[in-house]
Parts: sequence; C-alpha cells; structure tokens
Amino acid sequence: MLKYSIRRILQSLVTVFIVITVVFLLMRLLPIEGYFTERADKLTPEQQEAILRKFGLLDPWYIQLKNFYASLLRGDLGNSIIYRPNVPVVDVLKPKIPYSFGFGIASLVLSLFVGLAMGVHMAREKGRFWDKLWTSFVVFINAVPAAVYLLFIQLYITHVTKLPILFSKDSFVSCILPTISMSLGGAAGYAMWMRRYMVDELNKDYIKLARAKGMPNKDIMVRHVMRNAFVPMAQYLPSSVLFTISGSIYIESLYSIPGMGGLLVDVIQRQDNTLVQALVLIYSVLGIFGLFLGDILMAIFDPRIRLEKEGGAR
Amino acid sequence: MDEPILSIRDLVVKFNLRGQILTAIRGASLDLYQGETLAIVGESGAGKSVLTKTWNGMLDPNGWVESGSIMFEGQDLAKFTTEAQWLTVRGKKIAMVFQDPMTALNPLKTVGKQIQETLELHQDIKGEAAQERTIEILSQVGISEPEMRYSQYPHEFSGGMRQRVVIAITVACNPKILICDEPTTALDVTIQAQILELIRELQVQLGTTLVYITHDLGVVANVADRVAVMYAGEIIEYGTVEEIFYDPRHPYTWALLSSLPQLGVKGEPLYSIKGTPPNLFNEIKGDAFAPRNPHALKIDFVKQPPFFQVSPTHFAKTWLLDPRAPKVEPPPVVQAMQSRYKEYAI
Amino acid sequence: MTTRKEQQAITAIEDDSLFTFAHYDPEAAERTGYSDYSYWGSTFRIFLKNKTAVFLLILMASLVFFTIIQPYLPNQKDPNKIHIDPETGYQLRNHPPDGEFWFGTNVIGQDLWARIWSGTRTSLLIAIIVGIWEVVFGIFIGAVWGYVRQLDALITEVYNVINNIPNTILLMLLAYIMRPSFKTMIIAMCLTGWLGMARFVRNQIVIIRDREYNLASRCLGTPTHRIIMKNVLPYLVSVIVMRIALSIPGTIGWEVFLTYIGLGLPLETPSLGNLLNEGRRVMMSSSLRYQLLFPALVLSVITVSFYVLGNAFADAADPRNHY
Repeated sequence: MLKYSIRRILQSLVTVFIVITVVFLLMRLLPIEGYFTERADKLTPEQQEAILRKFGLLDPWYIQLKNFYASLLRGDLGNSIIYRPNVPVVDVLKPKIPYSFGFGIASLVLSLFVGLAMGVHMAREKGRFWDKLWTSFVVFINAVPAAVYLLFIQLYITHVTKLPILFSKDSFVSCILPTISMSLGGAAGYAMWMRRYMVDELNKDYIKLARAKGMPNKDIMVRHVMRNAFVPMAQYLPSSVLFTISGSIYIESLYSIPGMGGLLVDVIQRQDNTLVQALVLIYSVLGIFGLFLGDILMAIFDPRIRLEKEGGAR
Repeated sequence: MDEPILSIRDLVVKFNLRGQILTAIRGASLDLYQGETLAIVGESGAGKSVLTKTWNGMLDPNGWVESGSIMFEGQDLAKFTTEAQWLTVRGKKIAMVFQDPMTALNPLKTVGKQIQETLELHQDIKGEAAQERTIEILSQVGISEPEMRYSQYPHEFSGGMRQRVVIAITVACNPKILICDEPTTALDVTIQAQILELIRELQVQLGTTLVYITHDLGVVANVADRVAVMYAGEIIEYGTVEEIFYDPRHPYTWALLSSLPQLGVKGEPLYSIKGTPPNLFNEIKGDAFAPRNPHALKIDFVKQPPFFQVSPTHFAKTWLLDPRAPKVEPPPVVQAMQSRYKEYAI
Repeated sequence: MTTRKEQQAITAIEDDSLFTFAHYDPEAAERTGYSDYSYWGSTFRIFLKNKTAVFLLILMASLVFFTIIQPYLPNQKDPNKIHIDPETGYQLRNHPPDGEFWFGTNVIGQDLWARIWSGTRTSLLIAIIVGIWEVVFGIFIGAVWGYVRQLDALITEVYNVINNIPNTILLMLLAYIMRPSFKTMIIAMCLTGWLGMARFVRNQIVIIRDREYNLASRCLGTPTHRIIMKNVLPYLVSVIVMRIALSIPGTIGWEVFLTYIGLGLPLETPSLGNLLNEGRRVMMSSSLRYQLLFPALVLSVITVSFYVLGNAFADAADPRNHY
C-alpha cells in the first residue's frame, strides 16, 4: 500500500510539473493586451515595452520559467491586472471560494443521493415503466446542453413556485434552486452508472452464491451490490469534490452567485492574463490532485489493486 | 425402501428467450433418499443444473416451472412463488456449491465475513460467537491457520482453497441436501481428489444428502451411490452406481460409457456420439435420443418410451426394454463391463 | 414408475412392426448444428425493431436534408438581411411569428426562420467535422499507441497531460488565444476531442493482442489482417458510428458553452449557440420569448435524437443482444 501510494505521488508530481510548464508556455501565447490596464493603443510602443519588461515577459523563456517557479514556490501567483488592478491574485480568489465550494458540496451530496437511488430503482424496475421514465430524464439531461435546460428551469420554475430568481446571501430559499440545478447533471450520471453497474453485478456468480445461501434480496443489494458499486465510483469522488471549487459557470452567472465560476468567465472576457494564468493553473493542479486522491481511495476500498501492477493511461 | 426426502414428478420447466419458448426440462421424475449420494450425469445442456435450480428457487428470472411437482418436507416446491417462501429453504435446508470457485466469492469482502454472514442468517449467533464458529468451520474444511485466513480476501486464496471456502459457506448451516454443481471441473486433478474427499467426510459427519451434477464419469464412480442419467431435459435412466456402470440399458448410457477413453488400450479410434442434442425450442416427438441412436426402433420416432423396470432400483426409458423389442447387444465396452461384473459379483 | 394409464397405453400399441429397427442416418444427426448468424444482419434487425430509434433516424435524416435544401426553397429569406417594414420605414423588430415570418423576427429585424436553419447548418457542420476528425485521428493515434510499443510511454504522457487539464479550461484557453471564429472552434474541439477515441482504440488493440480467441486465431495461422478484419473491425465500426452520433450533442454543447462565455462565433455567422444567446437577452418578456423557444426546441430535438440514436445503435451492435 505504501509503495503504491509513493508510486502514485511521484507519477502525479511528474504530471503536475509537465502540466504547469505546458500551461506556462501556453500563457506566453496570450494576447499581450491582457497585460495592460489601459487600452493597448493608448500606450506608445516604449510604454508597452516597459510594462512587459516589468512583468519579465521580454526575458528569454527559460529565465521566465525559472522566475515563474520561484514565485510559485513562494506562493505568489502575481497580481491581477485588469479585474482588480494590483490586487494579489490570492486575495481576489479568497472570498469567492466559499460560495462555489458551498454550493458545490451541497449539490454533490444531493446528486449522489438522488442519482444513486434513481439508479438502484432503475435496475430493479429494468425494462418497466419507472426505468423508462428515469431513463428519459437521464437522456434529456445528458443530451441537451446544460445552458438550455438550466435557463428554462430558472424561467419557469421561479414563475410557478415563486422561488427567488437570484441568489442573495441572506435568503436561504434562494439557495434551493441553484443547488438543485447543479445536481441534475451529476444525478443523471450517477443514476446511469449505478444502473449499469447493478445490472452487470447482479449476474455475477458471487451474487448467485449469496442468494443460494439464503440471503434475502434486500440484504444482497445493500451489503454486496451497492457496497461493491461504490468502489469504482470512489475513484471519481475526490475529483468531484475538488472541482466544486471551480464552481459552475452557468449556474453562478444565472443566479448571480459571486463564486469562482463567474470569475473565470469574467477574466477571460476582460482579458486579465495573470488571473487567467492563475486560474488555469489552479484547476489543473486540482484536477491532478483529485485523480491522485481517487486512486488512493480506490486502493483502500479494493484490496486487489494494491497487489497489482499499475500502468498505462489515466 | 424408506420414503424419499425429495420427490420430483413429471417436472416441466420452460424458459422464455427473447420471445421464444424453450422447454429445458421435459417431464423429469426422480426420488432422493436421506443420506445418499446421487449423481446426475449428462452432456452440457441436458438440463442437470436447471433441474436442481428448481429446488431452491435459483432459476433465471425468465424461466418457470410449467407443471409437475417437487415434494420436500410436505411442501410442493414447484408451487413456491415468493421470496419469503424460498428463504425458508435456501441455504438452511438445500444448499448449493457452484462450479467456478474463482468467481463465487465477493472479491471485496473478507472470506471470514462471507462465511459468518451465512451463520448469522440461519442460526442465532452473532458477533464474537459467530466469529469463533467461523474459524472452527475454516479448519473443519481443511484450511490451515484459520485465524489468519479469516481476515484475508478471496484473491489471496488458491482455487482449491476457495472451493473449500465455498463448501464452508454451504455446510455452515448443516443443510439437509447439498447440491454440488460440477464442483471440481475447474480444479486440478489432485485438488479434485482432495475436495471430493472433503465433501465425503463432511457428509459422514453431518449426514447430509449429496447431489452431484457432473459430466465426469470418473467422479461418479468415485462418489455416487445412485446415478441418474439425463438427456435433453429428461431423466432417461437411473439406478445404483453398479447397475448403471455394469448393466446399463439405455442406448445413450451405452454411448456415454463407450465415450470414456479406456486407459491402457492403445491404437483404437476414440468413440464419439454422432450429432448434437436436439433443439429444445422445438417440440420433440418420440424418444429425444432417437436421431443419434444406432439402435433406434421405428417406434422411437413415434412415441416417447415410459420407464421400464430392470430391477427394483434400476429403471430405463427405452423401448428396447419392451418385451416386443428385438434383442440388442450393447457395444463392446459395455459388454466387457458386464462380464467383469458377473465375475466379481458372484 | 409407470402408471396404470401408461401401462395400458403401452400394451395398446398394436403395431408390432414398430418394434423393428429404424434406419440410422448419422449424417442427419449432424445436421442440427447449423447456424446462419450474420453480425451485421442481426445488428440491423435489432436496430430496426427499436421503433423510437427508427423514428428518430428518419426525423434526423429529414432534418439534415431539410437544412441543406432550405435556402433553395422558394420564399426563403437571407438570414442576415434586416427587414424593413414597408409602411413605417422602420426595422421590423421583434415581430412575432406570422404568415410572413414563420418564426418571427429578432431584435434587429432579421428573419428567425432563416437564421435558425442557417444556425443549424453551421452547428451541425462543426459537429460533424469534429466528429469525423475525432474518429479518424483518434483511431490513427490509438492504433499507433497500441501497436508501436516504443511510443506507448510517450503518447501516454501526452494523453495524461491533456486529459488532466479540464476540457472547459482548455477549450476556453484555446478560444481565447486564437480568437473566436469558425476555424478556431473547430481546431479547439478537435484538439481535445480525439482523446477518448484514441484511448479506446489503444485499449482495444492491447486487449486484441492478448485475447484468447485471437491467440487461437494466430495459432491457427490466421494472418493479422484477417484477424483485424473479422475480429476487431466489426466491433470498431459499430463503436465508430456510435461515437460520431454521440459526439454531435457533445460538440453542440461545447459550442453553446463557448458562445455563452463570449468565445463563440461572431454574430454574422448564426449558430445555435448564438441564437440561444440572443434569445436569452429577451427572454424575460413573455411576448418575446419565442426568440428563445425556437432555437431551444430545435437544439433539444437534435441533441436528444442523436444521443438516442447513438445509444440505440450501440445496443443493437452489442453481440450479447443478438439472436
């Protein structure tokens, strides 16, 4: 187990390193207008050069890379340029994270509960009315772009139920609709997955043995099937948790939630390069970290993995 | 003769496969006696597993018992419909050992827990007492260092040991009938012998009635008291193991015995039965084995033969036993067995 | 165990000639094993039995056909033309649907019917191009990845890096850097889209080499190309069709997303994403809501149809469902 963990840590670090470098190089391709607080045409070429030099952007790329890593290790992600001029990126992000994270976790929990329950029900009622009904729901959510149905939800449901349209800090009810909206995609995914998994597992030999030894179906469902179903899913849970930080771009803007999702859209539209760079970095590292945690979680739950050789694409 | 503990009469089992009906069991009748070891032999697809699955409600969801009866402890198992009914029988009274030990255990649960589950289900012990009993059972089935093995996972056991664990699970509750569905097919020959020996010991200790399903006549000769031969969903011959090996009467049984490679005899072509078993989607007229039977009579294609008695314990479903049928010499292999029997029996 | 009735039935058989030997024909016994199973035959048969899928297939085929011929039909208007009310001389803004403008007009007087079909054309075109690229490039990379062992580690690392950066970020970044345009969108989505297919093909090839039925084929001397043709390809073709079908709703989804953020196509090129955005701006007023409803409807029908079609085909192509 220890060896496995160490191996995964090293793998992740290598990937992180490569990703950060790639992101950094990609950033150098960003339009230079993103570095100027004023409109680019208002500045003379000398002024532009001066600003770029101040940012260290005219140095050869390997020196830039070195400086970049140096400041990273110091915890310095640079200052925002356009969005909040001269405010450190970290300070820009701090107030936003709790909102995204809060909504994210709430909707994750909701989607897990609803999705898994739906999936179990679908597997039990396979081929019959309920299975078809839930399947239509899942198909709809998966096929139609979220932007479309989320819009309609906001439109019509607020009309019918008189729930508030926009989020406000003081109103608890205003949290309900965004949370439900956020959980739909996840619920559909979990439901589909759980259904498929259960249908597959229910045919396996060890389930037959459990039945033959006189275990009631209900117990088999809970103690053998569902418990086993969690294992492959565990792989994706840490990633899901971590990604809540990135926030849902649509939902946050639809309901005016001051979270991270809206931030990314904003900074791209306003072309604030340091923030764009910082955000991309954060998301990538979160992603890798999440996958790594997921692997460890899997290894804890599935004893076979610890003894197998791991290799290949993630 | 005592009363049978399980009695099957004219059982008909059908399956619905994508809209088409398959008749897997076409009128099987059988008696099972307390404490004996019965072997059910036949080719793949003859219906051996399906037959035993009707005893503990393990038929696939698209199958059902169309008609007939299965009398066990005063109840007709063929009429069971609810899970609650089956739960009174499964595991407790009738238990099953499956063929493939590699997939029979939940890979994510410790072996100990899987055995303990059975105990907690059927007997009134829980927790520590159950754990102790589980460890006892583990050593009963011949697993060394049971305390350590208790908390290990299935993939840490070899095939033979996993089969021992499966056996442990099934005998944990001392069932009246234990069905072993090809329990050694997936194992090496040496392990086979160990497992068979283990099951025999447990039978002696617990007095269980054993039903072996197998297509391996060697295993049959080793363990069985009585043998039932199945073909195309019917039991076509049954009797004591000596009667079946030394005095078979049904042409199919002759063919089966002839197909056994004779150790020590070299240079002769191996015998195999021509053709394949009939398509059970269709209705079969007459004797199902007739198209492949070199000794078939015209009436075999017209009317299904009933059981003819050869001895009080030996019956066969073939028109050859009708007084009007011509005398037929069984194939050389069978004749050799018959003469050997006469030598030793006297 | 014979009953009295059976005994009687036996002795009732009068015809003694029945107790003579029948003619034994070993060849007849062998004849029962024939099977005329054809993989594609079964696949299409099962697919056609799925009435929903057939209906949607016809629907989609008609829709695609219609989007192609629509500009050539009589009475169609130019999607970018701003219509002027002949009476007032003002732009015909926000004109609700009527006989002249079947879907009404938008906020600056353009015919929504023409815009929607033009947008569908664009979006579908992007989706199909990306889908085909995904398949072609994905299979190529996947095959090389699987066969050429020396490249395995390298391609794996490349895959890992791209895979670990969330698609959202990658697409946004690429669109941001390359400036939004028709070409940018296609390039960006192609850069990220091939991953899934490549990974899948690579896994298949690695498994192919080691699957027992292929080892058996190799032992029998079957040449590699025949193994690929008969064992691998049928499975691959069905997966290819399925993935193209499923990538269409996916690509349209990404296009809508990018447009929402402001990295989508410029307004002169109508696309479903654009139209949705335009409609979103006026959705609060119920009289103008039609501007959102029509694009949303068309979009939903297209995405759901292709999604269902893709899955239906996948189910039909799965040999476990064959009979």
